[in-house]
Amino acid sequence: MSDEKNATLWTTITRLPENVWHSVFRNPLPSSDLGRASTSFTNFFLHIHPVKTHRHSLKATYTFGLGLIAFFLFLVLAVTGVLLMFYYVPSTTQAYDRMLDLRGTVAFGIFLRNMHRWAAHGMVAVVFLHLCRVFLTGAYKPPREFNWVLGMVLLLLTFFSSFTGYLLPWDQLAFWAITVGTSIAGYAPVFGKEVRFLLLGDSTVGQEALLRFYVLHVAVLPTAMTLLVAIHFWRIRKDGGLSRPPEEDDLSIPQLQPVLRPVGADVAAAAAAPALAPVLPKRRYGIQGLVRGPFTKVGNVPDRSVFIWPDLFTAEVLVLVLTIAGVLVVSLFFNAPLEEPVNVMHPPNPAKAPWYFLGLQEMVSYSAFWGGIGIPTLEVLILLLVPYIDRRPVGVGKWFARERLLANSLFMTFVIVNIVLMVIGTFFRGPNWEFVSPW
Amino acid sequence: LLTWFSSFGLFGSFIISAISNFIFIKPRATYGQPNRFSIGKPEDFPSGSRLSLDTRRVCIVREGDRLAAISTTCTHLGCIVAKSETGFACPCHGSRFDQDGNVTGGPAPRHLPWYQISLAPNGELEVDKDIEIEQGTYLRV
Repeated sequence: MSDEKNATLWTTITRLPENVWHSVFRNPLPSSDLGRASTSFTNFFLHIHPVKTHRHSLKATYTFGLGLIAFFLFLVLAVTGVLLMFYYVPSTTQAYDRMLDLRGTVAFGIFLRNMHRWAAHGMVAVVFLHLCRVFLTGAYKPPREFNWVLGMVLLLLTFFSSFTGYLLPWDQLAFWAITVGTSIAGYAPVFGKEVRFLLLGDSTVGQEALLRFYVLHVAVLPTAMTLLVAIHFWRIRKDGGLSRPPEEDDLSIPQLQPVLRPVGADVAAAAAAPALAPVLPKRRYGIQGLVRGPFTKVGNVPDRSVFIWPDLFTAEVLVLVLTIAGVLVVSLFFNAPLEEPVNVMHPPNPAKAPWYFLGLQEMVSYSAFWGGIGIPTLEVLILLLVPYIDRRPVGVGKWFARERLLANSLFMTFVIVNIVLMVIGTFFRGPNWEFVSPW
Repeated sequence: LLTWFSSFGLFGSFIISAISNFIFIKPRATYGQPNRFSIGKPEDFPSGSRLSLDTRRVCIVREGDRLAAISTTCTHLGCIVAKSETGFACPCHGSRFDQDGNVTGGPAPRHLPWYQISLAPNGELEVDKDIEIEQGTYLRV
């Protein structure tokens, strides 16, 4: 009796690590397809994915992993941002000193600030490239219209996050950028002046404005972005995975408007026509098959799907490692810029925003209303409406599809004009915003 | 009816909370600089001088016995304009103004405002940036 008890105790102890491990990870490393499927849907992080995905979604030259890179940069920003918050004080008298402390006394301080700054620049660039990818492959077309809209909102939130972020060091760039930025808001019709006052919390730029932009930067905007990113990801699955070109032998593609097929339609049809019963497929699909489009695809089409584990998972880990490596390397070699402490009496000459706002600054130098409010609002509205204007289901899932020559040309013009404006603002503008030659 | 009441209540609370949020973030008191301030005695500004008080963002112009206070906040996007040979120039987006603050180039939509300047009973000059006066209106001392 006592021996038996000891034996039970002994097995409990020896098996403890194993039992703990299996309570956390319910599956052994999979060796069968069933195991691979099970791995995907029993793991919290993997179950965001479907069990299988189309092979086309994994083509690196189709997506270049841009959405994923943007998300990973967002993670890097969240982590480094929280760490920086331990040492930052949103006060006009202390903020700049804290920046110097990051350089001088805080362990890894300068490195963290570099990572945060360069990841932010990278995120702006990558989110924009992601937008270009989605446009140029026609991926915004039905049923993915609303995910495009969400993506546009995320782009704007990215811009606003980066804007509120570079104000926080309270250096010359910060002060004059906030002055110019909120003045642009003041040009908005009807509510312009009120919006400016709410943003600044005062009639001039000062402590209130810094505090407000800090709260927006560390609490409001990241929360909004996290929620929208979650919906953005969720909708990828609900809209049928990543866009891909139609396949001739795929019965689910040719119909133009995907519809929800009523459950039980097959059963009713079978009951009505008993003569057909013998040729009906033997397998039935339950509630988990309730997605857009006909779902009895098994056996009807050649299977071009791959398992998430390990194919997509390894690809994602690779992108994550490359993203972090990129941020680390850039942060090792380049220090984040920090200008002179604020001098409310003398704007730097020329006073330049970061590169991604210089196109806007160039436009603003012609007309504050049209350059800062009118044209940007029109651009955003048109981009938001694109999937509702261009609804022809052609050229989806192909880079620079011939059928989309007009749409792609218009879009490329828009991109090139903006890049040209940015280049002019960056290299060809000198003191008093006068035209200078960089050579 | 219960559904109707609850949805009405939910919708109402949503609207009310949205409005009250806006009221909340609109400050009732601000901590910035006062818009009305004294700048010293008239003798501090010799005739023919154009003195920029950069902390106050105003330029005091004196010609003979005439005094004026011209704003040095660019009407374009709020940078501080610097004095130049021909008047004022903005470093941010290249607006240019003449001696009286009229726009001579660049994106500025209107002239630099002139503020009311008056002689207080204690003999000091007082500028009130809340009161804009017509260009060319001088205070005689």
